Amino acid sequence: MRRTGSANRALLAVLALLATAPAWANDDLDFYQTVDREEVGSDDTFRLTVVVVDAPPNAQVQLPESDDFEVLSSSRSSQRSISLSGGGPAVIQDITRYVLVMRANRAGRLKIPPSQITVRGKTYRTQPVEISVRSGRLGTPPQAQSGGSLPDPFASAPPSRRDPFEDDMMEDEPTIPRGDSDLFLRSSLDRDDVFVGEQVTLSLYIYSRVDLSSVDSVTMPKLEGFWTEEVESPTQLSGEQRIVDGVPYRAYLLRRRALFPVKPGTLTITPAEADITTGFLFAGHRVHRVSNGLKVKVRPLPPGAPQGMSNAHVGSWRLSTEVSQTRVELGQPVTVKVILEGVGNVKNVTPPKLTGPAALKIYDPTTTDKVAPQRNRVQGRRVMEYLVMPQRTGTFTLPALEFPFFDPRARAYDVARTEPVTITVEAGAGGVSSLPTSPSQVADAANEQKNVLTAGGLRPVRYQARFVAPSEPPWKRGFFVPVVLAPLGLLLGVALVGGLRGKLATRSEADRGRQQAKAARKRLAEAEKLQGGTNVGAFYAEVEKALHGFLEARLGVPVGGLTREVLAERMAAAGADAERRSRVLFVLEACDLGRYGGGGNPAERQKVMDAAAAAMEGWA
Amino acid sequence: MSGYYTPEEAQDVFLKANEAYAREDYAEAQAGYEKLLSHGHGGPDVLYNLGTTHLARGDLGRAVLALEQAVKQGGRAPDLEANLAVARARQVDKVVGASAEEEFLPRVAAATDGNVVAWTFLGTWVAAFVMVMLWRVLRPGRRTLVGILATLLFAVAIPSGLLLATHAWVEETVHEAVVLSPTLVARELPQPGARSIFEVHAGLKVRLLEETGRFVRIRLPNGLEGWAEREGVAEI
Repeated sequence: MRRTGSANRALLAVLALLATAPAWANDDLDFYQTVDREEVGSDDTFRLTVVVVDAPPNAQVQLPESDDFEVLSSSRSSQRSISLSGGGPAVIQDITRYVLVMRANRAGRLKIPPSQITVRGKTYRTQPVEISVRSGRLGTPPQAQSGGSLPDPFASAPPSRRDPFEDDMMEDEPTIPRGDSDLFLRSSLDRDDVFVGEQVTLSLYIYSRVDLSSVDSVTMPKLEGFWTEEVESPTQLSGEQRIVDGVPYRAYLLRRRALFPVKPGTLTITPAEADITTGFLFAGHRVHRVSNGLKVKVRPLPPGAPQGMSNAHVGSWRLSTEVSQTRVELGQPVTVKVILEGVGNVKNVTPPKLTGPAALKIYDPTTTDKVAPQRNRVQGRRVMEYLVMPQRTGTFTLPALEFPFFDPRARAYDVARTEPVTITVEAGAGGVSSLPTSPSQVADAANEQKNVLTAGGLRPVRYQARFVAPSEPPWKRGFFVPVVLAPLGLLLGVALVGGLRGKLATRSEADRGRQQAKAARKRLAEAEKLQGGTNVGAFYAEVEKALHGFLEARLGVPVGGLTREVLAERMAAAGADAERRSRVLFVLEACDLGRYGGGGNPAERQKVMDAAAAAMEGWA
Repeated sequence: MSGYYTPEEAQDVFLKANEAYAREDYAEAQAGYEKLLSHGHGGPDVLYNLGTTHLARGDLGRAVLALEQAVKQGGRAPDLEANLAVARARQVDKVVGASAEEEFLPRVAAATDGNVVAWTFLGTWVAAFVMVMLWRVLRPGRRTLVGILATLLFAVAIPSGLLLATHAWVEETVHEAVVLSPTLVARELPQPGARSIFEVHAGLKVRLLEETGRFVRIRLPNGLEGWAEREGVAEI
């Protein structure tokens, strides 16, 4: 279908757009500046927004400068809006915003100077803005003032399940230091009010707005009054984006340590220091930065501690035992593991000591720690492995163990317990003792020194020996590798011989063909001798035999019983051209005729002879 | 077997050493067992008795060495485990933070008998190839049984070959030793005047990593490393 009038409509649209040219063509300029807060602290940042509406592209904007304020960051954004209303011409507006994140250098009633814009030699100024500055920090402005945020679609959703490890954790709110706003060091704690023995996590970050090349040295704070454990110590700088007072920074974690206060009171963490190289190659330079200091309020453990409680036993713990065997022969050792695992200062807790009756000699334990911090919380297991050597036969009990601790999350004391372990010691092969019959006998007998093994508990020497000469392992003996390789070599040799035989067989067939062809040519020479004789039949028979022999050599099959057509096909398949095929057929026809009386003419015989020779010639 | 002693003579030396042990003449007992070992009449039994004698004399280092050698030669037995446990309990050193898990391959090698593995591999390997040759020779209708046998033999030979390779690797690379000196200083560098890092004492089992001059680098079960004098340790 053909559309009409579309060209006229396009022309009207262009004219309409031309009619709605930007307003700056008429010097109709809207230029003003605002702040997001009227009252700020001297440590707070605030935003100054300078707005220019319909400024020409070559307009020069001069943003306010004052010694009373520090500009921490600035950004520029442009927006063009087109509005169509009531069938009239479209209205286009170009809006340019300059947003400065600023901070006051002193307290008082301060004035932000006006911004200026120069358009075609004419200068426009905004109104100055007054702002009241108080010492210190007043906090961040309400979210509504920053404007533009959409309602949270999940605001009405039920609160998610709380992380048990993050219940008291504080979000760090760094303050941009004066003078070092581009690059500063920040120490922070995940909490600053804890009990003795409870973990506080110290994190040391670099906040930077410039490229970092390397961190040359880090001096961690003096941590007097704390037991410390390394949680994270990155070997490479890896930054993450963070917004500090509206200013974007990259934050690089330098160290993260778990601190366990060992005494109550207000403990001080001195500032950390670092030497940092910024930039790359020859453009880089080294700067020294000092972090903020920190304080931690450490509360003493509440009264009412159970017996055996230590200040280090803080956290959440489970106690268990593992016994290698509960029924042993006299003289056999038993391994008992006391396992304390949970969240807390793994390396400073002391699991309860294993005790037992005198009949069980308990040697000093070996201690194995496995610390695996998760989500910055130190946790793991401490295993005390005891060797228990029964000194006599009977049934003995290793009593239950208790480990009292203070759980800071529940703010209460708790006790982790194990079950008692019963070990039955039986007489060995020698039958050195009989088992007591009642528990009272066990208790009485435990104090008596009998059935103790000789030589300090040693098992006796052996009275029979099987003598073994020192020998090398089989795989090191000389024959081993050759025997392993021999079957492979043998298999390879068989395969090689098979291949060789196949090749030789192929070659001998070719040789046989050549010999047959040679014999056929020889036979043709014999026939030539009969050419002049009287026995015509013998001549043709000899020629036919010679040609048959030659064809068998070349075609690889007997040709005696083949018809002429089949023979012609075989020859064609063997690569003989049409001329050669016709010569062969001619000679065979002539021979058939000659053997039965025809072809007595010497000229004919010569012709057959020549044709036979020509058929053989050049057929390799 | 060495021809220095006849079996009867060796048995006689062994019994005399045992008698010396029984009357607590440990020096003579030790001399008797060592004589047997030096003349090629060793084995787990002689090593166990020698280790027990050292233990009775209080020579913890040599006791652990002999008992560990008995274990290595396949002499695992309750009395050997018990005396070894006593020896370990008497050690001065308590290695803190020792990793409970040994490396995988040494554990595999310790759990299997190297000689049995080697002979199993060799036997099944050769037999499997004999079957393959036989399979080639036989006519197609009679090959099935031989083919199945060859497959089964290869199924045993290949895993045992891998196990054998594990044994060979452990034999070549893992060198365990026992501290013999009452006190052995581990230093930062293989030099007599180098800074001392830690001390170990007789009977502690360590791993030898490398050797230079008269120093060897030792590693404790918890990963601690240092250079110690070669004569202070003996390889198991």
